[in-house]
Amino acid sequence: MRHALAHADALYNFARWLARDPVEAEDLVQETYARALGAAKRFEPGTNLKAWLFRILRNASIDRRRRSQREGSLPYVEDPDADRELAEPALSELQLGQIRALVAEDVAAAVHALPESFRTVILLDLEGMTEAEVANVLGCAAGTVKSRLWRARAVLRDRLAAYRP
Amino acid sequence: MDCGKARELNLNELRGLLSSELAAELREHLSTCAPCRDHLEAERVLSEVLDARLPQLAAPLALKRRLAASWPASPSAARAPRRIGRPAWAAAMAMSVAAAGILVVVGSTAFLIQQRSELSQLEGETVNDHLRMLGGAPLAQVAGGLHEVKPWFGGKLDFAPAVRFAGNDDFPLKGGAVEPFLDRRAAVFVYKRRLHTASLFVVRGDGLAFPTSLRTRIVRGFSVALWKAGDQGYALVSDLNLPELLELQAEIALH
Repeated sequence: MRHALAHADALYNFARWLARDPVEAEDLVQETYARALGAAKRFEPGTNLKAWLFRILRNASIDRRRRSQREGSLPYVEDPDADRELAEPALSELQLGQIRALVAEDVAAAVHALPESFRTVILLDLEGMTEAEVANVLGCAAGTVKSRLWRARAVLRDRLAAYRP
Repeated sequence: MDCGKARELNLNELRGLLSSELAAELREHLSTCAPCRDHLEAERVLSEVLDARLPQLAAPLALKRRLAASWPASPSAARAPRRIGRPAWAAAMAMSVAAAGILVVVGSTAFLIQQRSELSQLEGETVNDHLRMLGGAPLAQVAGGLHEVKPWFGGKLDFAPAVRFAGNDDFPLKGGAVEPFLDRRAAVFVYKRRLHTASLFVVRGDGLAFPTSLRTRIVRGFSVALWKAGDQGYALVSDLNLPELLELQAEIALH
């Protein structure tokens, strides 16, 4: 637990992709650490602290949106199509060249435009988490993570290839 | 092995996560299947682009200070909040900050020193601030070049930024802004290169670890250059490759 603050950057980065604005992202990170303090006795030393903190942050984010939904300000909707079958298009060399030429803003915009369940697995995967760790964060089976990541990457490739600045 | 299975395994093959038997089986399939080889290449390109271009946003220093101030040396000794709703934790944080007093400074400094060196802190801040610029921080648009930007800084800064590069055909000047940079304000000059954006932050150099000779690094996929001239610190950042960023740096330093 004493190393928890070392994950502040990674947690904030994740929060920025889940929250509506930087202020909400900061709130989410603070709430994550406050919840972690409150639940410190339930953390098992030797288990993955980073995945545990990410799980807390994601749950805090979901709770916030559910509260917002109740207050009528922002609907929270799970992605109904996250696990449906997807026909993966083949990309030409020209399209791959286009993807290589994209700048940071384009890549960020494409990731932002993904359904949240896709965006989440992409980001957690980029954090270097294993499928089992991502499954722990999301509270689902590792097999679900595997297939969702595969679909998320396919959708992202397709969108990046079609991107026109 | 069929194509569906091969494509499922391609990503783990790129990451070296397959057993030697499975990797051999996959390679055998790829040797005879052009569409699956294309898929492997597409996975490789996506991984490269995500690793190098997707912005990684570091937590603001103010947030880290608040977290460091509220984090006990031994979390297990802390009293768990009875209810973790926003008012409860917000009040807890506020009380912690107020009670910590001077320990805030000491604690946060120790935390930051632990996290990274002063130079890498400057580089991280440079990338963060560049991302904020990309995210739509207000920019004074200029049609007439530098002589329109510099007067715009008047009254907004406690120093006159020593920048005379007004842009050229390769690096047109897009505009200027005043933005926070660590504990002070920076004059920001935004240049373009094709579709890329480069931000130059100029600050008072006192108390900051700007190097007297040029230092370049790749930080989270961004090219970053730091240097000091006179009493001012310069931080230049872009997703341009390093040679192109250095072209721009040379123009700025030359003028």
